[in-house]
Amino acid sequence: MVQPTPTRPANSLTDPHLGRRIYRWLSSIPTWILWGLVVIWSVPTFGLFVSSFRDRDAQITTGWWTGGGWTLDNYVTVLTPGAGSRGLTNALLNSLAISLPATVIPIAVAAFAAYAFAWIPFKGREWAFVGVVALMAIPAQMSLIPLLQLYSGGGHLTIPWLDKTVTVFPDLSLAGEISAVWITHTGFALPFAIFLIHNYMSQLPKDVFESARIDGADHFTIFWRLVLPLSVPVLAAFAIFQFLWTWNDYLIALTMIGANGANLPATVRIASLAGEFGVQEHVLTAGAFVTTVLPLVVFFSLQRYFVRGILAGSVKG
Amino acid sequence: MGKLLTTVLGVVGAIGVSAVLFIGANKIFDLAPRHWRWFSALIGFLVSGTVFLVLWANDLLLSPLAVTITAVVIGTVGGFVLGNVSNRWWRLGVGVAMGVALGGIAGFYSQNIFGVLPDGTQVIWPARPDLQLGPLAGWTVGGAVLGAAIWQVRSRVKPLYRSVLLWGTLGWAVGAYAISNLSGGTRNEAVLAGVVLGLGFGALVGTRPLADDRERGRVQTESRKYIFLGPAFLFIAVTLIVPTIRTLILSVRDRRGENFLGIENYQKVFSNPNTFDTSGWRLLFTSRLFWMGVIVVVVGLIIARVRGREVGTSMVGSPPSYGAWFVGGLLVSAAVLSVLRGTLFNNLWWVITVTLVSSALGLGIAVLADRAKHEAAAKSIIFLPMAISFVGAGIIWRFMYQARQPTADVPHGGQTGLLNALWVGLGELTQSSTWPKAIAVTLVAVLAVGMALLAVMAFRDGVRGVGWGVVVALIPVLWFLYSLIVGVGGWADGRGQIILFIQNSPFNNLWLMVVLIWTQVGFAMIIFSAAIKAVPAVLIEAAKVDGATESQLFWKVTMPQIMPTIGVVITTLIVLVMKVFDIVKVMTNGNFDTQVIANEMWQRAFTELNFGLGSALAVVLFAAVLPVLVVNVRRMQRAV
Repeated sequence: MVQPTPTRPANSLTDPHLGRRIYRWLSSIPTWILWGLVVIWSVPTFGLFVSSFRDRDAQITTGWWTGGGWTLDNYVTVLTPGAGSRGLTNALLNSLAISLPATVIPIAVAAFAAYAFAWIPFKGREWAFVGVVALMAIPAQMSLIPLLQLYSGGGHLTIPWLDKTVTVFPDLSLAGEISAVWITHTGFALPFAIFLIHNYMSQLPKDVFESARIDGADHFTIFWRLVLPLSVPVLAAFAIFQFLWTWNDYLIALTMIGANGANLPATVRIASLAGEFGVQEHVLTAGAFVTTVLPLVVFFSLQRYFVRGILAGSVKG
Repeated sequence: MGKLLTTVLGVVGAIGVSAVLFIGANKIFDLAPRHWRWFSALIGFLVSGTVFLVLWANDLLLSPLAVTITAVVIGTVGGFVLGNVSNRWWRLGVGVAMGVALGGIAGFYSQNIFGVLPDGTQVIWPARPDLQLGPLAGWTVGGAVLGAAIWQVRSRVKPLYRSVLLWGTLGWAVGAYAISNLSGGTRNEAVLAGVVLGLGFGALVGTRPLADDRERGRVQTESRKYIFLGPAFLFIAVTLIVPTIRTLILSVRDRRGENFLGIENYQKVFSNPNTFDTSGWRLLFTSRLFWMGVIVVVVGLIIARVRGREVGTSMVGSPPSYGAWFVGGLLVSAAVLSVLRGTLFNNLWWVITVTLVSSALGLGIAVLADRAKHEAAAKSIIFLPMAISFVGAGIIWRFMYQARQPTADVPHGGQTGLLNALWVGLGELTQSSTWPKAIAVTLVAVLAVGMALLAVMAFRDGVRGVGWGVVVALIPVLWFLYSLIVGVGGWADGRGQIILFIQNSPFNNLWLMVVLIWTQVGFAMIIFSAAIKAVPAVLIEAAKVDGATESQLFWKVTMPQIMPTIGVVITTLIVLVMKVFDIVKVMTNGNFDTQVIANEMWQRAFTELNFGLGSALAVVLFAAVLPVLVVNVRRMQRAV
């Protein structure tokens, strides 16, 4: 890569002015490279966006960059309720129904735990915290089979040498239900959430806590009245991160909801649309774009928090 | 709309119930200092209620409703009395009476267990243990001795009899319920087993002195950590810890998880040519990619040697060498992993390529953007794919890679995918046109000559960095010029020749990786960008005063400062890439030699319902990220 080099006045050139001009021009090359990359990075999304407004014939015969065949029909098809396998309204609702609770529940649970790890002293606290955070790296695949068994048949403990089984967790027939996805997302998100929120809460000034405790406030009051309001930035950061994560999730929804088509979220519907080659492809563009709109809106309006969440999660460690 | 309503109700209900439970728990323990008797009664209520509800839920009780209500009343009253009375003999009496009553009821009203095995068959057996005097006495006495030993080890802080009582009772529980024949006993035996158990625990409760003010305050404060951590630990245990252990167990069992198989599943993973195929290794030596990579690495070595001789040592690494090694390493790894086929090697390929390319590009863009105008806008656009789902990204790129049967007499052979259109268009330009080709060749030639002149000028000025940079940049330009002249691109016999990006193995893997790189560069960039901005300005100023060039500034000042961040980004990416699933599933579903472990695991487990093999694959994945986990824990421990 060309590294810009500042002009040195001592250059011995036949025409020093020309040389200086060329070098100055060279030092703008990095910027050109940057904007070139930016263009390359946005072309795929832009192409999909343009395609989604073109009709089937236009999409099949010509590339999106040639234009022509403009229509809104793809969006109409995708957004009309009851459009059968091509309609996405139901799936979009399911996505919301999955991602909103799957964002709120982990925040609540993790905020309490993070507070305990940060401000309630107990034996083995550091170890427990490191242990919880270490779970972040465990692949979701390690849990999928047992969790699905738990949701679809309850939890059973077989006492090996008796060959007898005791039910530890009742069979609630959660497989195929949205609540199964909530529970799974909550559990998987907790290590990161606790880590992120703990890092923030533990940085809060100690004096606040001490004066509150002198005033007779217990942990619950301190948490509720003091720490929670002060932690809004980190809670927002995690909320956005988790919302995007759960909205975009495919693996967990596919596994836990599986065949129950009425409850499938948009990602799974779109992916199965993509599997039906040929017929649906022109609708797929609109479908993919519709499912992307909400994350993009969230992303652009709340980018500051999202970035903060990612940074706190990675750089701090 | 009905759907929306039920969803909202479900959400509000779930959150409301959790909030009530949580606040309720806090409020209950707030009772402790001032209303100890009520607190004690509540605890009695909750403990007896929980025990009998569990028995009920397992269908162990005759007329369960009446029995549970009776038990709860006994527990509540007992708790209330214990919260009032301070005479130790009275306390002992109440505790024992309560325990005996509860144990006796449980034993007397015990009934058949109905259980469901994991495979769905129902089993029935009476829950009346067949008490055997020998083992029972052995376990009880053994437990008591263990209790005494524990008391000894714990430096005799608590009274001896409590330790003996606790462990003796636990020993009795094991002897009575765990090792006996649970289906062979009579009602009297069931009552006996329950009464003794209740007696033990009741005596334990009864021998605790009535809590004084300090103890009550302690209960109030100490309970908080359990209330605060409880829900999180419950979720983590249910969704992460227990399933992980269970997956480990399932991985050594058969497809339904019933019979023990040993390492057979793992053998299948590693002996299957679809997952682990080294048979093509000889092809490596005829691979152009491999030799190109080797040459680039050697060039890096030569540069290092030359630099080393300048300062009098054998070899010195410098940015040009690092760059050459980086590129050469990528080429060699691509060559090696394109001949060693199979799921495991695919995963390795993904990890190497995506991690290295994303981090390097992310770092590069962060540096480029650092002082550019409209930095925020540029970074936003690079970062944007992070907000798109992997499924969405896969679909977006499927349209980029689209290949259509080329038709004649249509621009770029009628391609609707951008990449194939460019490829076919390039072929058309260089092979079937005269004037456009001549213009293109001239333009590129002028560019090449200009660059050559620039390089000469830079060397004459002694600006060696710029000189070498231009020379390196000249190589691809010359290569492109040569290609233009001899003809390049998708064109043969007067018609377009498409590239099947998704179908042509093994390099289709690289095209899938591009999708993930496209999304992850933004992640790396945003983190590097923050790290670069966090480099102390004092250091940079000091280096500038000493006359450091831009490139020295980056390699000697910025790089060492952001090294820890590079580690974080790389480990995070390794874990993420190792688990890659969505993109492969959506774009190829593992066909055309693009299978990865996560997708293979999903197919084995949830399409073929082979839980044993699926679990084994999950464990392989787990083992692969385990080193990263260890590194993370180490880093955490240093930070804590």
